[in-house]
Amino acid sequence: MEIARLIHRFGLGPKPGEFSALVSGGLTKARALILTPPVVDLGANQVNDPLLTDLGPFPPPKSAADLVFESARTAQILALQLWWLDRMVASDHGLTERLTWFWHGHWATAIGKVEYALPMYIQNQLLRKNALANFKDQSRAMIVDSALLYWLDGNSNVAGSPNENLAREFMELFTLGVGAYSELDVQTIARALTGYNTVRSAGTVTFNPKKHDSSVLTFLGTAGIFDAPAVSDYITSLSTNQDHISRRIWFRFISSSTPYINETITQSFANRNIIQLLGAMATSGAMSNSLHSQSKSPVEWFVSVCRALNIRPSLLPHNSNVIHYLATMGQVPFDPPNVGGWPTDEAWLNISSMQARFAFSKYIIAQANLSAINAVPATDARIDYLADLFGVVGWTLRTKSVLRTVLNNPAALILICINAPEYVVNA
Amino acid sequence: MDTISRRKFLRLVGAGAAGVAATQLSFADIVLAGQTRPLPNGTPILVVVTLYGGNDGLNTVIPFANPLYKSSRPGIFVDDSHLIPLDAELALNGTMTGFKSLWDNQNLAIVRGVGYPYPDLSHFSSMAIWQSALPGSLANTGWIGRWLDTQKHDPMNAIGLGSVLPPLLAGAKSVGSVLPLGGLVVPDRATSYALHRLGLPDASDGPLQAAAAASITDFLNLGKNLTPILKRPAPVPDNLPTLAGGSFGSDSSLSQQLDVVAKLIAVNAPTKVWAVSLGGFDTHADEVKGQSTLLGTVSQSITRFIGQMHGANRQNDVVVLVYSEFGRRVKANGTQGTDHGTAGPVFVIGNGVDGGKFFGDEPSLSRLVDGNLAITTDFRDVYAAMVEDVLKVPAGQVIPGWKSKLPLMLQT
Repeated sequence: MEIARLIHRFGLGPKPGEFSALVSGGLTKARALILTPPVVDLGANQVNDPLLTDLGPFPPPKSAADLVFESARTAQILALQLWWLDRMVASDHGLTERLTWFWHGHWATAIGKVEYALPMYIQNQLLRKNALANFKDQSRAMIVDSALLYWLDGNSNVAGSPNENLAREFMELFTLGVGAYSELDVQTIARALTGYNTVRSAGTVTFNPKKHDSSVLTFLGTAGIFDAPAVSDYITSLSTNQDHISRRIWFRFISSSTPYINETITQSFANRNIIQLLGAMATSGAMSNSLHSQSKSPVEWFVSVCRALNIRPSLLPHNSNVIHYLATMGQVPFDPPNVGGWPTDEAWLNISSMQARFAFSKYIIAQANLSAINAVPATDARIDYLADLFGVVGWTLRTKSVLRTVLNNPAALILICINAPEYVVNA
Repeated sequence: MDTISRRKFLRLVGAGAAGVAATQLSFADIVLAGQTRPLPNGTPILVVVTLYGGNDGLNTVIPFANPLYKSSRPGIFVDDSHLIPLDAELALNGTMTGFKSLWDNQNLAIVRGVGYPYPDLSHFSSMAIWQSALPGSLANTGWIGRWLDTQKHDPMNAIGLGSVLPPLLAGAKSVGSVLPLGGLVVPDRATSYALHRLGLPDASDGPLQAAAAASITDFLNLGKNLTPILKRPAPVPDNLPTLAGGSFGSDSSLSQQLDVVAKLIAVNAPTKVWAVSLGGFDTHADEVKGQSTLLGTVSQSITRFIGQMHGANRQNDVVVLVYSEFGRRVKANGTQGTDHGTAGPVFVIGNGVDGGKFFGDEPSLSRLVDGNLAITTDFRDVYAAMVEDVLKVPAGQVIPGWKSKLPLMLQT
């Protein structure tokens, strides 16, 4: 069970044959493999970067230029979304993409407001570069990221009348957790975050010292003159930050329902090294606790299905349908519902997500190459093969009995497997 | 403060207390239920409308006669030409023509200065307080959920529209159901049979796996029973004033949600509480245009819905409650918007409402608390009226220890 949990939570599900190989090597080896990204990810590198350009400002509505602009803008957004899904599917090693995906939900920035693909791509690369290394570096870069600044109104925040949005969410959601600061701290830090300006279409940021509040500011037990990176450096040095990020990782990777109480795990994050924290989580014993089941979110479900079936999302017919299906399931990359990111677990197990998953399944299966399944004898061997393919420890008696009724129908077999409760949930 | 437990309730977005969600969140046959055990005429129906993001109350119900209003928020006050005065001091935002007609018909009550003690300016904390109605506690149940706990268990008692369950519908013993929007894909016979078996419980299921299995069964029931209803045209509003432009069929998600609610009420679905929502009210920047558009949507879609209730002969039964997690700062910020604030107005709408009136005092613009409006009305006084005078359950059973309420409902 632990290996299955590791590959689905710290990866994005196995590729064909990967699960049985990990199992035969044993837990310790599997854990090390899953938590050690390769120097070069050949699979991910096969996916070409999206062609994104600076489209400039929005033309006047309904002008001739607007039509051209709008089609280019939507095409770039679709290309960006499919590029990342392709990358998650193609990656040889899921950890980096999985963590980039986690951080995207953590610093949840939505293209609905940012409106341009290019700044979102720049943010995504920033998150990928800092996905596993040091949280302080990540935070220092994110606090002056163009898309994030625009999303939280930090882009035209000026001395004299600061906007509190970025300051508040930076502390509440990104670094410290609610209650670890006062309203006065929010107002004070908003002043330190003044003076930044974005060119939204280009994803660039400039700093105007004249619009920056460079007075001595006192907050959270310190005083001095601060700009945004300095604010980040100070806040991420606080022990509340160590605790908050440890808890967020626990919540998303281990359990959203059992309380986090593990001091040893928090200690592993003392120098804000993310991979060390993940390692401590994975070896803490929490992974073998049967209470710690978690649901796959829609994107995690879709990507793991594609990895098992060797499907490249952008090559699916009418590939914008991929985004429409994900939207009906409630989760589209680059478009979280709000700055708090996506919900978790039970949220994805309702009737609404089930019906969307079913419709999506039919669309995916129509493109799957079923020959590998046909090559396995239509007996229980086929059922075991499918458990290995999808990285499930073993099907429940319920699911086995259903699979036996459609042994000769590979498409139906896949439909059952990818909608089975023990696949939708990482037990 | 323990951040995880502080957020525990918010985990319920789409959840329900973990153990509870796992019990069958079954949508049995809503339509059949409408036929076999129709909601008797005269049974009250509460529709809760949540505005996510923190609606700016001062640009919704506008103290236009107070010079401090304009001087506090240069660039983002609502101009005199875009006001609909309700009396000599207060006006509705000009986009809210539908609400004005409801007000004139005495079907709309406006509660002023609503909030809770010790305001929390976080979206997430504040929404948790509004949805739990238990400020100062680490509650993991919602106020409608606790009403559900007083009722005979029925998954159709309370239904939320959308893809996730709103926390207010999560009780300790019962949780409300979720109804998706949009088209349904109905499985063919053979697939239905296989899925039916895939939805059966298995001895090895933990809570989440059991919830996943239950959702399969619910999905099949929904497809079988609900599709014909959702395909029907919505009830025709019969008493709507003619609006310039006549764009009743606004395509906002709020009007879509209310359309589905109207259809199901029209077929006598045995549901007493419905929850719908609209987001986008977090107007830190460029507020005036965005918020006005949203308020127009709120006003128009609810007015249309009330008209539909006349068409369905439920006009005397339905009460609509509209709230947001907080109002916004009195002063404008530097980006043509407003930061998070405290008190805001709540709207209560229906034939049975003592409408055309204000309740609660208008917060002072000169005596602010840390730049924010002082709370003049506790939100639990509004909820208590909904619980006791609409849902007919003693308020103390839903909000323990709470004894006061506003006389929002006409005595019948």
